[in-house]
Amino acid sequence: MTNPTAAFAEVNYTNGYEFTEGSGYALPEYPFVSPPELHTDQTLRHAVVIVGGGITGLTLACSLANQGIKAILLDEDNTVGVKGASSRGICYTQKSLEIFDRLGVYQRIARKGIQWSVGRTFAGNDEVYSFDLRQQSNFNLSAQPPFINIQQFYIEGYLVERIMALGGVDLRWSSRVTGFEQNPNFATLTVQTPEGSYRIQADHVIDATGSHTPFHAWTGVSMQSTKGDDRWCIADVRFNTHPPIERHTWIEAPFNENRAVWQHLMADDVWRIDYQMAPNADAAYVSREDVVRERLERQFGKDVQVEIVWVGPYAYKSQCLNALRMGRVFFMGDTAKIVSPFGARGGNTGVADADNLAWKLGAVLKGWASPELLDSYNAERLEAAQENVRVTNRTARFLRAPEGAERSLRNATISLAKQYPFARTLVNTGRMAVANTYTRSPICAESGGLSLQNVAFQWRKGKTGVVNELLNWAEGRLLLMVFGAQSQASLKRLKTLTEGTPLRCVQVLGKNTPAQAREHVLDSHLRLRTACQLQGDGWALVRPDGYLAAHGSRVDGSLVEAIVDTLAL
Amino acid sequence: MNNTMQTQANFQDADGFYEQLINAHADLSAEQSELLNNRLILILANQIGDSAVLRECIEAAQDLPQ
Repeated sequence: MTNPTAAFAEVNYTNGYEFTEGSGYALPEYPFVSPPELHTDQTLRHAVVIVGGGITGLTLACSLANQGIKAILLDEDNTVGVKGASSRGICYTQKSLEIFDRLGVYQRIARKGIQWSVGRTFAGNDEVYSFDLRQQSNFNLSAQPPFINIQQFYIEGYLVERIMALGGVDLRWSSRVTGFEQNPNFATLTVQTPEGSYRIQADHVIDATGSHTPFHAWTGVSMQSTKGDDRWCIADVRFNTHPPIERHTWIEAPFNENRAVWQHLMADDVWRIDYQMAPNADAAYVSREDVVRERLERQFGKDVQVEIVWVGPYAYKSQCLNALRMGRVFFMGDTAKIVSPFGARGGNTGVADADNLAWKLGAVLKGWASPELLDSYNAERLEAAQENVRVTNRTARFLRAPEGAERSLRNATISLAKQYPFARTLVNTGRMAVANTYTRSPICAESGGLSLQNVAFQWRKGKTGVVNELLNWAEGRLLLMVFGAQSQASLKRLKTLTEGTPLRCVQVLGKNTPAQAREHVLDSHLRLRTACQLQGDGWALVRPDGYLAAHGSRVDGSLVEAIVDTLAL
Repeated sequence: MNNTMQTQANFQDADGFYEQLINAHADLSAEQSELLNNRLILILANQIGDSAVLRECIEAAQDLPQ
């Protein structure tokens, strides 16, 4: 294990969470390996350089490694997470879990993390409403659960190990980007390391460095940004008793001066308790250990023994870039947008950003698609970013309703919600992240733009399969599912179409349809067909990120057009 | 469903409604009256439901007299 030398400046922890108290988390450390650039006078050119080894950058790196695409990842410290600091994200959605399943790290996440489906919302001493996501049939279709709670650095650690096992992506720790310039064809980065600086050229730079990225200034990208006065204090704690494995939210908690409180379980029996503080509260005071202990005691009682794992104050801003691509640079995760934490729309959006760009980079670098395909990243993920900012801003305004009309309307809402079901829909303690739909994508047909869940079907010998297995079989190509019996003419057209096209085709059979292709699966419960938004027989074109590109009823020119559009050809 | 705001009278009994509304506020403090009004707005809004109509209603109410 090599530690960075003293000459390498300490990382400045300013990404919103700050470490103040607690026993802390033990994080893995990765060695600095001297890169070839430090031992040559030549400036080497790479197809892809990812800057930032958080959950977003690592998801992209893992997906590229999975496709056999070479890349460099530069991270400024030598560990996952923020060293000595917090666990950051805790809640991962079904869509993220489906992505992690494709990347081969889902099983480890499922073993370590906590599945939950019940949420309860309280105001004062009353429960306002509760939900059980397991009872909502749409969540049950996927092989992955609605949510898993786990400390973010575990996922990052699993991704690092998976990337190293797959090979092809060079993970460079203790490597900070300190300079940048670009021309229409490539960018040049200056990288500072414990052994000195070097320059590298990159055809594509992916900025996943987080909220304090230097690339915003370097590229001159414009953005919308607002910072409010809402303040929170986060306590990650262990108890000698076990609260129920449910998400509890108080809009007004009697034990927190009638301000909001969040209570969530994570891995290792650690609970995350988020306390809303007074507007503009003094961060140092509210996160002092004795103050935090007193607050915990008010909530859980004097007799409960509490081990504080981590405590930190938290302030959030709302920020969204106006473009997610500037020349050779692509912005993703927190560099693309910053949202309040409500609804788990931060990290999960970063994972989806990475999954969106990964297959497009792969298809372009393999010569399967036009380089213009990369512009669709901006169209699709900017729409998602704007939607997530809009949704989380609404939650933030409900939770930090200022005295006056806003607070009066909230009081009315809460009082009605205790009496009538309709008003519960107005109580906004966070709208959980979903796979965003693309409504203005240049590469999706009007019938497309929706994410397919990882639903089940039967392989021809009766064994159960899931959509992710088909996507992995397609290995970065488009997946064409053809439903029902096909005419000889259609079969001939399909054969011509698949030859020389980055496309894998599978016939999906109903209960009594005869197989006409070697690659066929059985969809007796119509889950695949429903997931593809088809009412009857037809075809569905699915992208490597599990999004429906288009569907149609007849194997004709419309299918050819959909394939051409999806690859921006 | 008619998805524009009604500008002509749609009441079955306008005077009766108005009387019941002011009676509901009798003996309430200013704070209680505000709560009642806010509760009523939300209940009525849910009866309408239609986003376009609700938007038009809010915009109409925003047009305050000078």
